[in-house]
Amino acid sequence: MNCEEATKLMDGYLDGELDPITSQTIEQHLRECPKCDRAYKTHGSLIRALGNATPYYKAPAELRERIQSSLRKEIGERPTRNGGQNTRSLFPRKQPEPRTILFGTSWNWLALAAAIVLAAIIGWTLLPRLQRSGADQFLATQLIASHVRSLMANHLSDVASSDQHTVKPWLDAKLDFAPPVVDLSSEGFPLVGGRLDYLDNRPVAALVYQRRKHFINLFVWPGETGSARPTMAMSHQGYQLLHWADPDFNYWAVSDVNANDLQTFKQQFELQTSHH
Amino acid sequence: MALLLKAEHASENQDFESDQRIVKFVVVKKREEDHAQPAALTSFEDAMLPHLDAAHNLARWLLRNEQDAQDVVQEAYLRAFKSFAGFHGSNGRAWLLTIVRNTSYTLLKKNRAVDLTTTFDEEIHAPGYESVSPATILEHSEDAELIREAMDELPAEFREILTLRHQEGLSYKEIADIAQIPPGTVMSRLARARAKLRECLAVRIGKEK
Ligand SMILES: [Zn+2]
Repeated sequence: MNCEEATKLMDGYLDGELDPITSQTIEQHLRECPKCDRAYKTHGSLIRALGNATPYYKAPAELRERIQSSLRKEIGERPTRNGGQNTRSLFPRKQPEPRTILFGTSWNWLALAAAIVLAAIIGWTLLPRLQRSGADQFLATQLIASHVRSLMANHLSDVASSDQHTVKPWLDAKLDFAPPVVDLSSEGFPLVGGRLDYLDNRPVAALVYQRRKHFINLFVWPGETGSARPTMAMSHQGYQLLHWADPDFNYWAVSDVNANDLQTFKQQFELQTSHH
Repeated sequence: MALLLKAEHASENQDFESDQRIVKFVVVKKREEDHAQPAALTSFEDAMLPHLDAAHNLARWLLRNEQDAQDVVQEAYLRAFKSFAGFHGSNGRAWLLTIVRNTSYTLLKKNRAVDLTTTFDEEIHAPGYESVSPATILEHSEDAELIREAMDELPAEFREILTLRHQEGLSYKEIADIAQIPPGTVMSRLARARAKLRECLAVRIGKEK
Protein backbone atom coordinates (compact mmCIF):
# COMPACT_ATOMS: atom_id res chain seq x y z
CA MET A 1 0.00 0.00 0.00
CA ASN A 2 1.29 3.46 -0.87
CA CYS A 3 0.61 6.79 0.83
CA GLU A 4 -2.13 7.77 -1.57
CA GLU A 5 -4.10 4.60 -0.94
CA ALA A 6 -3.58 4.89 2.79
CA THR A 7 -4.87 8.47 2.77
CA LYS A 8 -7.89 7.45 0.80
CA LEU A 9 -8.82 4.73 3.28
CA MET A 10 -7.90 6.67 6.39
CA ASP A 11 -11.42 7.73 7.35
CA GLY A 12 -12.72 4.20 6.97
CA TYR A 13 -9.87 2.92 9.12
CA LEU A 14 -10.49 5.60 11.72
CA ASP A 15 -14.15 4.62 11.87
CA GLY A 16 -13.37 0.92 12.10
CA GLU A 17 -15.30 0.26 8.92
CA LEU A 18 -12.66 -1.51 6.86
CA ASP A 19 -12.44 -5.24 6.43
CA PRO A 20 -9.77 -6.92 8.58
CA ILE A 21 -7.33 -7.49 5.77
CA THR A 22 -7.40 -3.90 4.52
CA SER A 23 -7.11 -2.70 8.12
CA GLN A 24 -3.99 -4.78 8.60
CA THR A 25 -2.47 -3.43 5.41
CA ILE A 26 -3.05 0.12 6.59
CA GLU A 27 -1.66 -0.64 10.02
CA GLN A 28 1.45 -1.96 8.44
CA HIS A 29 1.79 1.15 6.28
CA LEU A 30 1.34 3.40 9.33
CA ARG A 31 4.10 1.51 11.13
CA GLU A 32 6.42 2.05 8.20
CA CYS A 33 5.46 5.58 7.16
CA PRO A 34 5.90 8.33 9.78
CA LYS A 35 4.22 10.89 7.55
CA CYS A 36 0.97 8.97 7.22
CA ASP A 37 1.13 7.92 10.86
CA ARG A 38 1.32 11.55 11.93
CA ALA A 39 -1.50 12.52 9.58
CA TYR A 40 -3.61 9.67 10.92
CA LYS A 41 -3.07 10.63 14.57
CA THR A 42 -3.78 14.31 13.93
CA HIS A 43 -6.85 13.58 11.86
CA GLY A 44 -8.11 11.10 14.44
CA SER A 45 -7.79 13.37 17.44
CA LEU A 46 -9.26 16.28 15.52
CA ILE A 47 -12.27 14.26 14.38
CA ARG A 48 -12.89 12.98 17.91
CA ALA A 49 -12.55 16.45 19.43
CA LEU A 50 -14.86 18.03 16.87
CA GLY A 51 -17.39 15.25 17.22
CA ASN A 52 -17.50 15.70 20.97
CA ALA A 53 -17.76 19.47 20.79
CA THR A 54 -20.45 19.63 18.12
CA PRO A 55 -23.60 21.02 19.77
CA TYR A 56 -26.29 18.39 20.18
CA TYR A 57 -29.77 19.80 19.79
CA LYS A 58 -31.94 17.90 22.23
CA ALA A 59 -35.66 18.07 21.61
CA PRO A 60 -37.41 20.64 23.79
CA ALA A 61 -40.09 19.26 26.09
CA GLU A 62 -42.86 21.09 24.30
CA LEU A 63 -42.03 19.28 21.05
CA ARG A 64 -42.68 15.94 22.71
CA GLU A 65 -46.03 17.24 23.94
CA ARG A 66 -46.86 18.65 20.55
CA ILE A 67 -46.13 15.33 18.88
CA GLN A 68 -48.10 13.34 21.43
CA SER A 69 -51.09 15.58 21.08
CA SER A 70 -50.94 15.55 17.28
CA LEU A 71 -50.79 11.74 17.34
CA ARG A 72 -53.83 11.61 19.62
CA LYS A 73 -55.63 13.98 17.33
CA GLU A 74 -54.75 11.69 14.47
CA ILE A 75 -56.59 8.82 16.15
CA GLY A 76 -59.38 10.86 17.67
CA GLU A 77 -60.32 12.87 14.65
CA ARG A 78 -60.22 10.05 12.15
CA PRO A 79 -63.99 9.81 11.69
CA THR A 80 -64.34 13.50 10.87
CA ARG A 81 -62.21 13.88 7.82
CA ASN A 82 -61.93 17.62 8.02
CA GLY A 83 -60.74 17.72 11.58
CA GLY A 84 -57.27 18.69 12.57
CA GLN A 85 -57.40 22.15 11.10
CA ASN A 86 -55.47 23.41 14.05
CA THR A 87 -52.71 20.91 13.66
CA ARG A 88 -49.76 22.60 12.16
CA SER A 89 -48.93 20.59 9.12
CA LEU A 90 -46.03 21.02 6.80
CA PHE A 91 -47.27 19.03 3.90
CA PRO A 92 -51.04 19.20 3.84
CA ARG A 93 -52.65 16.49 1.78
CA LYS A 94 -56.28 16.14 2.58
CA GLN A 95 -57.60 19.66 2.67
CA PRO A 96 -58.73 20.83 -0.72
CA GLU A 97 -58.16 24.53 -0.07
CA PRO A 98 -54.65 25.89 -0.45
CA ARG A 99 -52.84 26.20 2.84
CA THR A 100 -50.40 28.93 3.42
CA ILE A 101 -48.61 27.68 6.46
CA LEU A 102 -44.85 27.99 6.30
CA PHE A 103 -44.51 27.93 2.55
CA GLY A 104 -46.54 31.04 1.92
CA THR A 105 -48.00 29.82 -1.33
CA SER A 106 -49.54 26.61 -2.46
CA TRP A 107 -47.35 24.42 -4.57
CA ASN A 108 -48.30 24.08 -8.16
CA TRP A 109 -46.64 23.34 -11.43
CA LEU A 110 -45.98 26.95 -12.18
CA ALA A 111 -44.27 27.42 -8.86
CA LEU A 112 -42.41 24.18 -9.39
CA ALA A 113 -41.19 25.28 -12.78
CA ALA A 114 -40.27 28.69 -11.43
CA ALA A 115 -38.38 27.10 -8.56
CA ILE A 116 -36.48 24.86 -10.90
CA VAL A 117 -35.61 27.69 -13.23
CA LEU A 118 -34.60 29.90 -10.33
CA ALA A 119 -32.53 27.15 -8.77
CA ALA A 120 -30.93 26.51 -12.11
CA ILE A 121 -30.08 30.15 -12.57
CA ILE A 122 -28.61 30.39 -9.11
CA GLY A 123 -26.76 27.14 -9.62
CA TRP A 124 -25.26 28.26 -12.84
CA THR A 125 -24.37 31.67 -11.62
CA LEU A 126 -22.24 29.91 -9.08
CA LEU A 127 -20.57 27.84 -11.75
CA PRO A 128 -18.79 30.31 -13.97
CA ARG A 129 -15.89 27.92 -14.36
CA LEU A 130 -17.79 25.64 -16.62
CA GLN A 131 -18.28 28.30 -19.27
CA ARG A 132 -21.48 26.98 -20.64
CA SER A 133 -23.09 28.70 -23.52
CA GLY A 134 -26.40 30.39 -22.93
CA ALA A 135 -28.15 27.88 -25.13
CA ASP A 136 -26.81 24.92 -23.18
CA GLN A 137 -27.85 26.60 -19.97
CA PHE A 138 -31.37 27.11 -21.10
CA LEU A 139 -31.58 23.59 -22.44
CA ALA A 140 -30.22 22.02 -19.29
CA THR A 141 -32.83 23.88 -17.26
CA GLN A 142 -35.53 22.41 -19.44
CA LEU A 143 -33.98 18.97 -19.19
CA ILE A 144 -34.00 18.96 -15.43
CA ALA A 145 -37.55 20.27 -15.38
CA SER A 146 -38.56 17.49 -17.72
CA HIS A 147 -36.77 14.85 -15.65
CA VAL A 148 -38.39 16.08 -12.45
CA ARG A 149 -41.79 16.27 -14.08
CA SER A 150 -41.53 12.71 -15.38
CA LEU A 151 -40.80 11.47 -11.86
CA MET A 152 -43.38 13.59 -10.09
CA ALA A 153 -46.26 12.97 -12.40
CA ASN A 154 -45.48 9.26 -12.39
CA HIS A 155 -45.22 9.63 -16.10
CA LEU A 156 -41.88 8.07 -16.75
CA SER A 157 -42.82 6.28 -19.88
CA ASP A 158 -45.46 6.21 -22.57
CA VAL A 159 -44.37 2.75 -23.51
CA ALA A 160 -43.30 0.80 -20.46
CA SER A 161 -41.16 -2.06 -21.55
CA SER A 162 -37.75 -3.46 -20.86
CA ASP A 163 -37.70 -4.79 -24.38
CA GLN A 164 -35.77 -2.57 -26.75
CA HIS A 165 -37.63 -4.24 -29.62
CA THR A 166 -40.90 -2.87 -28.24
CA VAL A 167 -39.66 0.56 -27.28
CA LYS A 168 -37.81 1.31 -30.49
CA PRO A 169 -40.67 0.77 -32.97
CA TRP A 170 -42.98 2.74 -30.73
CA LEU A 171 -40.63 5.73 -30.72
CA ASP A 172 -39.83 5.39 -34.40
CA ALA A 173 -43.52 5.62 -35.20
CA LYS A 174 -43.98 8.78 -33.15
CA LEU A 175 -40.87 10.62 -34.26
CA ASP A 176 -39.38 11.77 -37.52
CA PHE A 177 -36.12 10.13 -36.59
CA ALA A 178 -35.06 6.73 -35.27
CA PRO A 179 -33.19 6.99 -31.99
CA PRO A 180 -30.88 4.18 -30.96
CA VAL A 181 -32.45 2.06 -28.21
CA VAL A 182 -30.56 -0.58 -26.28
CA ASP A 183 -31.32 -2.44 -23.10
CA LEU A 184 -28.47 -2.25 -20.62
CA SER A 185 -29.80 -4.69 -18.01
CA SER A 186 -26.67 -6.78 -17.98
CA GLU A 187 -24.66 -3.58 -17.44
CA GLY A 188 -26.80 -2.64 -14.44
CA PHE A 189 -29.01 -0.12 -16.20
CA PRO A 190 -32.21 -1.88 -17.24
CA LEU A 191 -34.34 -0.15 -19.83
CA VAL A 192 -37.68 0.79 -18.29
CA GLY A 193 -39.43 2.40 -21.20
CA GLY A 194 -39.60 5.26 -23.65
CA ARG A 195 -41.44 8.52 -23.73
CA LEU A 196 -42.15 11.28 -26.17
CA ASP A 197 -41.04 14.62 -24.80
CA TYR A 198 -40.74 18.19 -26.06
CA LEU A 199 -37.70 20.37 -25.74
CA ASP A 200 -37.29 23.67 -27.49
CA ASN A 201 -40.59 23.04 -29.21
CA ARG A 202 -39.32 19.95 -30.90
CA PRO A 203 -40.24 16.35 -30.14
CA VAL A 204 -37.45 14.32 -28.64
CA ALA A 205 -37.10 10.74 -27.49
CA ALA A 206 -36.74 10.16 -23.77
CA LEU A 207 -35.36 6.73 -22.96
CA VAL A 208 -35.81 5.75 -19.35
CA TYR A 209 -33.28 3.56 -17.60
CA GLN A 210 -33.11 2.45 -14.04
CA ARG A 211 -30.11 2.34 -11.77
CA ARG A 212 -31.05 0.55 -8.57
CA LYS A 213 -33.91 2.72 -7.29
CA HIS A 214 -33.00 5.72 -9.39
CA PHE A 215 -34.01 6.69 -12.87
CA ILE A 216 -32.05 8.06 -15.76
CA ASN A 217 -33.76 10.03 -18.48
CA LEU A 218 -31.78 9.91 -21.70
CA PHE A 219 -33.00 12.56 -24.13
CA VAL A 220 -32.12 11.93 -27.75
CA TRP A 221 -32.67 13.98 -30.89
CA PRO A 222 -30.87 14.45 -34.18
CA GLY A 223 -27.79 16.62 -34.04
CA GLU A 224 -27.18 19.59 -36.29
CA THR A 225 -23.46 19.53 -36.10
CA GLY A 226 -22.87 16.26 -37.89
CA SER A 227 -19.86 15.70 -35.71
CA ALA A 228 -19.03 14.34 -32.31
CA ARG A 229 -18.87 16.77 -29.40
CA PRO A 230 -16.76 16.31 -26.31
CA THR A 231 -18.61 15.04 -23.29
CA MET A 232 -19.81 17.71 -20.94
CA ALA A 233 -20.72 16.88 -17.38
CA MET A 234 -22.45 19.12 -14.92
CA SER A 235 -24.08 18.72 -11.62
CA HIS A 236 -26.41 20.83 -9.71
CA GLN A 237 -29.43 20.68 -7.48
CA GLY A 238 -28.75 17.04 -6.83
CA TYR A 239 -29.00 16.16 -10.49
CA GLN A 240 -26.23 15.02 -12.75
CA LEU A 241 -26.27 15.95 -16.38
CA LEU A 242 -24.11 14.44 -19.05
CA HIS A 243 -24.10 15.65 -22.61
CA TRP A 244 -22.46 14.13 -25.61
CA ALA A 245 -23.06 13.87 -29.30
CA ASP A 246 -22.15 11.51 -32.07
CA PRO A 247 -22.41 12.36 -35.76
CA ASP A 248 -26.10 11.46 -35.77
CA PHE A 249 -27.57 12.40 -32.41
CA ASN A 250 -27.45 14.72 -29.44
CA TYR A 251 -27.63 13.01 -26.07
CA TRP A 252 -28.44 14.44 -22.69
CA ALA A 253 -28.61 12.12 -19.70
CA VAL A 254 -30.25 13.48 -16.55
CA SER A 255 -30.45 11.67 -13.25
CA ASP A 256 -29.89 11.77 -9.54
CA VAL A 257 -27.46 8.86 -9.65
CA ASN A 258 -23.89 9.84 -8.88
CA ALA A 259 -21.60 11.25 -11.54
CA ASN A 260 -19.55 8.06 -11.85
CA ASP A 261 -22.61 5.93 -12.45
CA LEU A 262 -23.79 8.30 -15.12
CA GLN A 263 -20.39 8.18 -16.83
CA THR A 264 -20.52 4.39 -16.72
CA PHE A 265 -24.01 4.52 -18.14
CA LYS A 266 -22.81 6.67 -21.03
CA GLN A 267 -19.89 4.38 -21.76
CA GLN A 268 -22.10 1.30 -21.76
CA PHE A 269 -24.70 3.00 -23.90
CA GLU A 270 -22.08 4.00 -26.46
CA LEU A 271 -20.50 0.58 -26.38
CA GLN A 272 -23.79 -1.20 -26.96
CA THR A 273 -25.13 1.17 -29.60
CA SER A 274 -21.93 0.91 -31.60
CA HIS A 275 -22.64 -2.82 -31.92
CA HIS A 276 -26.00 -2.23 -33.50
CA MET B 1 -54.60 21.23 -5.89
CA ALA B 2 -54.93 17.89 -7.59
CA LEU B 3 -51.50 18.52 -8.96
CA LEU B 4 -50.22 19.21 -5.50
CA LEU B 5 -51.49 15.86 -4.31
CA LYS B 6 -49.77 14.12 -7.14
CA ALA B 7 -46.48 15.78 -6.49
CA GLU B 8 -46.59 14.96 -2.81
CA HIS B 9 -47.28 11.31 -3.42
CA ALA B 10 -44.69 11.06 -6.09
CA SER B 11 -41.99 12.54 -3.94
CA GLU B 12 -43.01 10.37 -1.06
CA ASN B 13 -42.84 7.24 -3.15
CA GLN B 14 -39.53 8.33 -4.46
CA ASP B 15 -38.17 8.77 -0.97
CA PHE B 16 -39.44 5.52 0.36
CA GLU B 17 -38.59 3.47 -2.65
CA SER B 18 -34.97 3.47 -1.75
CA ASP B 19 -35.47 1.15 1.13
CA GLN B 20 -36.87 -2.31 0.68
CA ARG B 21 -38.15 -2.48 4.24
CA ILE B 22 -40.04 0.72 3.79
CA VAL B 23 -41.57 -0.20 0.48
CA LYS B 24 -43.46 -2.92 2.30
CA PHE B 25 -45.22 -0.56 4.64
CA VAL B 26 -46.34 1.71 1.86
CA VAL B 27 -48.40 -1.19 0.61
CA VAL B 28 -49.76 -2.03 4.03
CA LYS B 29 -50.46 1.61 4.84
CA LYS B 30 -53.56 1.80 2.66
CA ARG B 31 -55.30 -0.84 4.72
CA GLU B 32 -54.04 0.14 8.14
CA GLU B 33 -54.47 3.86 7.96
CA ASP B 34 -58.08 4.02 9.04
CA HIS B 35 -57.78 1.56 11.89
CA ALA B 36 -55.15 3.18 14.06
CA GLN B 37 -55.99 2.37 17.66
CA PRO B 38 -54.81 3.66 21.02
CA ALA B 39 -52.90 0.41 21.60
CA ALA B 40 -51.03 0.96 18.36
CA LEU B 41 -50.26 4.49 19.49
CA THR B 42 -48.78 3.25 22.74
CA SER B 43 -46.51 0.76 21.06
CA PHE B 44 -45.52 3.37 18.49
CA GLU B 45 -44.62 5.87 21.18
CA ASP B 46 -42.71 3.27 23.16
CA ALA B 47 -40.67 2.41 20.09
CA MET B 48 -40.15 5.84 18.59
CA LEU B 49 -40.23 8.54 21.26
CA PRO B 50 -36.86 7.41 22.67
CA HIS B 51 -35.38 8.62 19.37
CA LEU B 52 -36.90 12.07 19.61
CA ASP B 53 -33.61 13.76 20.45
CA ALA B 54 -31.85 12.11 17.52
CA ALA B 55 -34.71 13.10 15.22
CA HIS B 56 -34.68 16.69 16.41
CA ASN B 57 -30.90 16.97 16.27
CA LEU B 58 -30.77 15.72 12.68
CA ALA B 59 -33.59 18.00 11.54
CA ARG B 60 -32.07 20.96 13.35
CA TRP B 61 -28.71 20.48 11.63
CA LEU B 62 -30.30 19.94 8.24
CA LEU B 63 -32.66 22.89 8.42
CA ARG B 64 -30.54 25.22 10.58
CA ASN B 65 -33.70 26.63 12.05
CA GLU B 66 -35.43 25.59 15.24
CA GLN B 67 -39.02 26.21 14.17
CA ASP B 68 -38.58 24.33 10.87
CA ALA B 69 -36.88 21.50 12.73
CA GLN B 70 -39.77 21.12 15.15
CA ASP B 71 -42.33 21.24 12.36
CA VAL B 72 -40.46 18.62 10.38
CA VAL B 73 -40.03 16.31 13.36
CA GLN B 74 -43.70 16.54 14.19
CA GLU B 75 -44.62 15.83 10.58
CA ALA B 76 -42.14 12.94 10.47
CA TYR B 77 -43.64 11.36 13.59
CA LEU B 78 -47.07 11.63 12.07
CA ARG B 79 -45.89 9.99 8.87
CA ALA B 80 -44.04 7.34 10.82
CA PHE B 81 -47.11 6.60 12.91
CA LYS B 82 -49.30 6.15 9.85
CA SER B 83 -46.76 3.73 8.43
CA PHE B 84 -45.81 2.01 11.66
CA ALA B 85 -48.05 -1.02 11.15
CA GLY B 86 -45.92 -1.96 8.18
CA PHE B 87 -42.60 -1.49 9.90
CA HIS B 88 -41.12 -4.83 10.85
CA GLY B 89 -37.46 -3.93 10.97
CA SER B 90 -35.38 -3.98 14.10
CA ASN B 91 -33.68 -0.63 13.64
CA GLY B 92 -36.37 1.84 14.67
CA ARG B 93 -33.95 4.71 15.02
CA ALA B 94 -32.59 4.39 11.47
CA TRP B 95 -36.13 4.01 10.16
CA LEU B 96 -37.33 7.13 11.94
CA LEU B 97 -34.24 9.11 10.93
CA THR B 98 -34.85 8.16 7.30
CA ILE B 99 -38.31 9.67 7.50
CA VAL B 100 -36.99 12.76 9.30
CA ARG B 101 -34.31 13.12 6.68
CA ASN B 102 -36.72 12.77 3.77
CA THR B 103 -39.17 15.20 5.31
CA SER B 104 -36.34 17.69 5.91
CA TYR B 105 -35.17 17.44 2.33
CA THR B 106 -38.68 17.96 1.02
CA LEU B 107 -38.75 21.22 2.92
CA LEU B 108 -35.21 22.16 1.92
CA LYS B 109 -36.03 21.55 -1.71
CA LYS B 110 -39.12 23.68 -1.48
CA ASN B 111 -37.55 26.52 0.43
CA ARG B 112 -33.94 26.91 -0.43
CA ALA B 113 -32.99 24.79 -3.31
CA VAL B 114 -29.42 25.96 -3.68
CA ASP B 115 -28.28 24.45 -0.44
CA LEU B 116 -28.47 20.84 -1.48
CA THR B 117 -25.41 20.07 -3.51
CA THR B 118 -21.76 20.37 -2.83
CA THR B 119 -20.46 20.46 -6.35
CA PHE B 120 -20.35 24.18 -6.80
CA ASP B 121 -17.99 25.09 -4.05
CA GLU B 122 -16.21 21.95 -3.05
CA GLU B 123 -13.18 22.57 -5.17
CA ILE B 124 -12.99 26.27 -4.50
CA HIS B 125 -10.90 26.58 -1.40
CA ALA B 126 -11.22 29.67 0.69
CA PRO B 127 -7.98 31.66 0.78
CA GLY B 128 -5.87 31.31 3.87
CA TYR B 129 -7.06 27.98 5.19
CA GLU B 130 -3.76 26.29 4.54
CA SER B 131 -1.86 28.62 6.86
CA VAL B 132 -3.75 27.28 9.87
CA SER B 133 -2.26 24.03 11.15
CA PRO B 134 -4.24 21.05 12.43
CA ALA B 135 -2.72 21.70 15.85
CA THR B 136 -4.20 25.20 15.87
CA ILE B 137 -7.57 23.83 14.89
CA LEU B 138 -7.29 21.30 17.68
CA GLU B 139 -6.68 24.14 20.15
CA HIS B 140 -10.01 25.62 19.09
CA SER B 141 -11.85 22.32 19.00
CA GLU B 142 -13.78 22.95 22.17
CA ASP B 143 -15.26 26.13 20.86
CA ALA B 144 -18.79 24.89 20.24
CA GLU B 145 -19.93 28.14 18.68
CA LEU B 146 -17.07 28.07 16.21
CA ILE B 147 -17.88 24.50 15.26
CA ARG B 148 -21.54 25.31 14.89
CA GLU B 149 -20.80 28.18 12.54
CA ALA B 150 -18.43 26.07 10.46
CA MET B 151 -20.88 23.18 10.30
CA ASP B 152 -23.71 25.47 9.25
CA GLU B 153 -21.62 26.63 6.33
CA LEU B 154 -21.43 23.11 4.90
CA PRO B 155 -23.86 21.75 2.33
CA ALA B 156 -26.78 19.71 3.66
CA GLU B 157 -25.37 16.33 2.65
CA PHE B 158 -22.23 17.07 4.67
CA ARG B 159 -24.11 18.30 7.72
CA GLU B 160 -26.21 15.19 7.49
CA ILE B 161 -23.38 12.69 7.30
CA LEU B 162 -21.35 14.41 10.03
CA THR B 163 -24.36 14.41 12.35
CA LEU B 164 -25.14 10.77 11.68
CA ARG B 165 -21.56 9.61 12.22
CA HIS B 166 -20.14 11.94 14.86
CA GLN B 167 -23.21 12.47 16.96
CA GLU B 168 -25.31 9.37 16.46
CA GLY B 169 -22.34 7.06 15.94
CA LEU B 170 -24.13 5.20 13.16
CA SER B 171 -22.40 2.59 11.04
CA TYR B 172 -21.63 3.20 7.37
CA LYS B 173 -24.38 0.76 6.49
CA GLU B 174 -26.97 2.64 8.54
CA ILE B 175 -25.78 5.94 7.09
CA ALA B 176 -26.09 4.56 3.56
CA ASP B 177 -29.67 3.50 4.33
CA ILE B 178 -30.66 6.82 5.82
CA ALA B 179 -28.93 9.07 3.30
CA GLN B 180 -29.94 6.74 0.46
CA ILE B 181 -26.52 6.47 -1.05
CA PRO B 182 -24.53 3.35 -2.00
CA PRO B 183 -22.60 1.97 1.01
CA GLY B 184 -19.41 2.33 -0.98
CA THR B 185 -19.72 6.10 -1.13
CA VAL B 186 -20.21 6.72 2.59
CA MET B 187 -16.50 6.71 3.37
CA SER B 188 -15.56 9.14 0.62
CA ARG B 189 -18.42 11.51 1.39
CA LEU B 190 -17.52 11.44 5.06
CA ALA B 191 -13.88 12.15 4.24
CA ARG B 192 -14.89 15.08 2.03
CA ALA B 193 -17.23 16.41 4.70
CA ARG B 194 -14.52 16.24 7.34
CA ALA B 195 -11.98 17.90 5.09
CA LYS B 196 -14.43 20.69 4.31
CA LEU B 197 -15.25 21.14 7.99
CA ARG B 198 -11.56 21.43 8.80
CA GLU B 199 -11.19 23.96 6.05
CA CYS B 200 -14.13 26.07 7.23
CA LEU B 201 -12.74 26.00 10.76
CA ALA B 202 -9.29 26.99 9.53
CA VAL B 203 -10.70 29.94 7.62
CA ARG B 204 -12.61 31.16 10.66
CA ILE B 205 -9.63 30.76 12.95
CA GLY B 206 -7.40 32.47 10.38
CA LYS B 207 -9.73 35.46 10.30
CA GLU B 208 -9.78 35.76 14.08
CA LYS B 209 -6.06 36.15 14.31
ZN1 LIG C 1 2.48 6.95 3.83
